[in-house]
Amino acid sequence: MSALLELQQAFVASLLCEADRAVHDRIIGDGLAAAERLRIYRNTFISTLTAALRMTYPAVDRLVGREFFDAAAEQLIHAHPPSSAYLNEYGEAFADFLAAFEPARTLPYLPDVARFEWALSAAANASDVPPLTAEALATIDPAHHAALRFEPHPSVRVLALDYPADQIADAVTSGNQAAMAEVDLSNGPLGLVVHRGANGVESQRLTPEAFIFVSRLCAGEPLARLLQDAPTDAPAVIAEQLTKGRLAAFRIQQGKSL
Amino acid sequence: MAHLVPTGPIPASAGIGLRFPHHRVVAEDKPAIAWLEVHPENYMGGGKPLEYLDAIRRSYPISLHGVGLSLGSADGVDERHLARLQRLVERVEPGLVSEHLSWSAIGGSHLADLLPLPYTEEALGGLCRNIELVQERLKRTILVENPSTYLRYRHSTIPEWEFMAAVAAHTGCGILCDVNNIYVSACNHGFDALRYLHALPREAVGEIHLAGHTLRKFDDGRSIRIDDHGSRVCPDVWSLYAQAVEHFGRVPTLIEWDTDVPPITVLLEEAERAEGILDAELVDVSAA
Repeated sequence: MSALLELQQAFVASLLCEADRAVHDRIIGDGLAAAERLRIYRNTFISTLTAALRMTYPAVDRLVGREFFDAAAEQLIHAHPPSSAYLNEYGEAFADFLAAFEPARTLPYLPDVARFEWALSAAANASDVPPLTAEALATIDPAHHAALRFEPHPSVRVLALDYPADQIADAVTSGNQAAMAEVDLSNGPLGLVVHRGANGVESQRLTPEAFIFVSRLCAGEPLARLLQDAPTDAPAVIAEQLTKGRLAAFRIQQGKSL
Repeated sequence: MAHLVPTGPIPASAGIGLRFPHHRVVAEDKPAIAWLEVHPENYMGGGKPLEYLDAIRRSYPISLHGVGLSLGSADGVDERHLARLQRLVERVEPGLVSEHLSWSAIGGSHLADLLPLPYTEEALGGLCRNIELVQERLKRTILVENPSTYLRYRHSTIPEWEFMAAVAAHTGCGILCDVNNIYVSACNHGFDALRYLHALPREAVGEIHLAGHTLRKFDDGRSIRIDDHGSRVCPDVWSLYAQAVEHFGRVPTLIEWDTDVPPITVLLEEAERAEGILDAELVDVSAA
């Protein structure tokens, strides 16, 4: 193995696990010991990533408090360091991490709040793609309607949650005590669709029937199969997805079994 | 995507690093500043940030200053990150593109910090290969910035200033001379900052960075300087900057501020002070 590769692997191991001291022998320890010098880098990288997570998860941060958040973030970072330099993409694992995080056990809704905030963040940062227009749809030969499949806008996230995490996140980030008191934790499970439209990121609760329908629509099921067991207001639901800009494209797949 | 005209070349004047808290004020009030620099990593998605950048680039020359390419990685640069950078470069058509003489990632883990390289022939070779790949892909030369460091490796054999000069000589890249970083590292490791400045090839220096740093004191009296970009440029760094301008001539100069970002007026004041030092120097290297 190259000396540089070995050094960089040992350096990363030391930043992720302070007990790993293989890199210490390679560092000049005049004045400050190798461990103290490495701690400066460790502190910077942990605080940069913790700040990135706090930006993505402001409601989780307020619900648990700064100290708890910092401790949870540090453990997450050690267990799941970023895989890219594009930090908006970092932190998806936080919800599942919190679900298994013993100190968070008394807040069973916390993972759902994290899931909701991750969806908001993913929607805010999704790539720019023009939404599908009614005009574009009108050009389709009706004979092809049965084989029509839709592609969701890259910002769309459909979420099935056990707790009213949208309401909790709104109340806690706006600091609205009255709204917080109104939260009824038994008000779930619920289905949400989050996306970024012309007016920014929005989230909408759906009825159980509409949620299943929108999930299947966004998964690209062909229209004929979708409409077989669709809710009666299916055309209106499709129209709403279109006007809200939640659909980006369509394709017509023929010759496939429906 | 809207058709955009290229932003102009970066003038040999003082600019500021643009961070999110100032997006709106810059887009709407268009403060008088010669140019702006942004981190491409903040604009690799869509939505609001990119909308602001598109608006701002119509009024200002833009420089893209990367923090995520990890040019010093022994296992090469991340293709996905390079592709994203390439897309942004094609969209923004920036006046300058720069990165750091450091590494951040190995084996798929990205540590979101600018980590120090050992200054060895092996590290030099790897770094140069990575820079050449990036320059080929971006179809332009980049500037590479000298780091602030808090440690040195026992097996380094090349002084950092010689390493910087060698990188520029081997790859044709330019040098982003961070005067604050030279000062911080010189204090931390006991070398002569002015000797460092004078060892850099003048013709390669295409930009200068200025920022604030912190003196961290330990209880037993020991101390180390931390490059946190969270305060005004300190008096010693202003003096070193004046010496840099005297040596390199008029070079685009940037004020960076990343921690506890103050109102934009503070950044504009710092830029004005840098402009005053540039004005005192009559030689314009860009016109030479």
